[in-house]
Amino acid sequence: MKKVLMPLVMVALLALVPFVGVQYAGLSYLFGVIIPYTAIVVLLAGFFLRLADWFRRPVPFRIPTTCGQEKSLDWIKYDRLESPAHFWEAAARVLSEVFFFRSLFRNTKAELHKDANLAYGSHKWLWLGGLAFHWSLLVIVLRHSRFFFVMVPGLTDFLDHADGFLDVTLPTFYITDAVVLAAITFLVFRRLNDAKMRLISLQTDYFPLFLIAAIVVVGVLMRYVVRLDIMPVKDQMLRLVNFSVDDPGEIGTLFYVHLFLVSVLAIYFPFSKLMHAGAIFLSPTRNLTNNSRQKRHINPWNAEIKFRTYSEYEDDYREKMKKAKLPIEKQ
Amino acid sequence: MMSKKLLWIFAVTAMMLFAVLNVFRKGEAETPPPLSVHKSVAIDSSKCIAPASFMRANHMQVLYEWRNSSVRTGNRVYIASNGSKYEKSLNTCLGCHSNNRLFCFNCHSYANVKPKCWNCHLSPMETP
Repeated sequence: MKKVLMPLVMVALLALVPFVGVQYAGLSYLFGVIIPYTAIVVLLAGFFLRLADWFRRPVPFRIPTTCGQEKSLDWIKYDRLESPAHFWEAAARVLSEVFFFRSLFRNTKAELHKDANLAYGSHKWLWLGGLAFHWSLLVIVLRHSRFFFVMVPGLTDFLDHADGFLDVTLPTFYITDAVVLAAITFLVFRRLNDAKMRLISLQTDYFPLFLIAAIVVVGVLMRYVVRLDIMPVKDQMLRLVNFSVDDPGEIGTLFYVHLFLVSVLAIYFPFSKLMHAGAIFLSPTRNLTNNSRQKRHINPWNAEIKFRTYSEYEDDYREKMKKAKLPIEKQ
Repeated sequence: MMSKKLLWIFAVTAMMLFAVLNVFRKGEAETPPPLSVHKSVAIDSSKCIAPASFMRANHMQVLYEWRNSSVRTGNRVYIASNGSKYEKSLNTCLGCHSNNRLFCFNCHSYANVKPKCWNCHLSPMETP
């Protein structure tokens, strides 16, 4: 169980670093200004470079994974989403993947029963857990925009209102806070629960889960339990957004733990499996159109072939052919 | 097989009975206290109930606790950490803090937090 404990210990240590650094060493400038800027630069540059790298890779063959009728003759109805023939159909397929995890909805689970029968059944839990996790994270990130704008955009207001719909506790309880924690718990236990999953799960699978869980827990603590003054927090976030390098004001230590863990996540992002966020758009098995029957796709890697036409041949051997009395096309 | 099923039915029935009985007992115990024991003190706005740094971070939880305990159990006396007593009322705070009409609104609009206090109470913006 080393590969579960190691990431857990690492996240705990990472959370401890800013706590000690700010509380006892007074390094609020390092954790409030230098590290966040570094993190955002690494995130943006790393994300861009990796996407650019993938984007430049040639995709010589049509390799979309399809599970529907391909477009061929006009009177044969084809499946626009499962076997897209046009750009917009392929785009719709990618977006349905991004927003609704469509292919995961088809997830099945194989089980070996007592009578030695191998049975496959629909298994939607991963789809549901993943969807809950990603959507909650999206809403939470968008809600945080209230710290980055002086005048908060209307969407944030709406999300804030909808998320606090239950209107219990003060500060108002956000539904997504509970959903994301439940989803992370499920996603961790999904890996731990099954022998096959335990075998194929790596440290790099557990680490981001634990890291995001730690970020959420610290955020939840700050909101509902260990309150801190929010004014200097917003001051500092506005400074960061405006590229200011001024000293952060007096902010509670937990905020620095939160910010540092987010910075770690941002730095970790481009080097890890979290890049699936951008890579999903560049997956050839997803984003290509299945139009091999309408359009000839020529492999750009094909070596150029020197053809020799008959007229060239005749040009070379005309005199000899004449002497041998062979028929020639051009005199 | 049958006895196991019966055992389950018994267990579930017992649990349901227990739950129902518990609800009834709780209902008896939670009758509201008679009005005569409702306590209150005179409103004193001459000093703050806690240091500003604490209030900046925790005022909403203090007010939330005040609202719940004063409305639901009738206890309107707040005992501060130094032992002095205050009336659990917005007026305790606003008696002094409403000298700045924007006292609440400046920070709340900055942080984009919309409190529900003014759904019922008069806010410093609305009082002359």
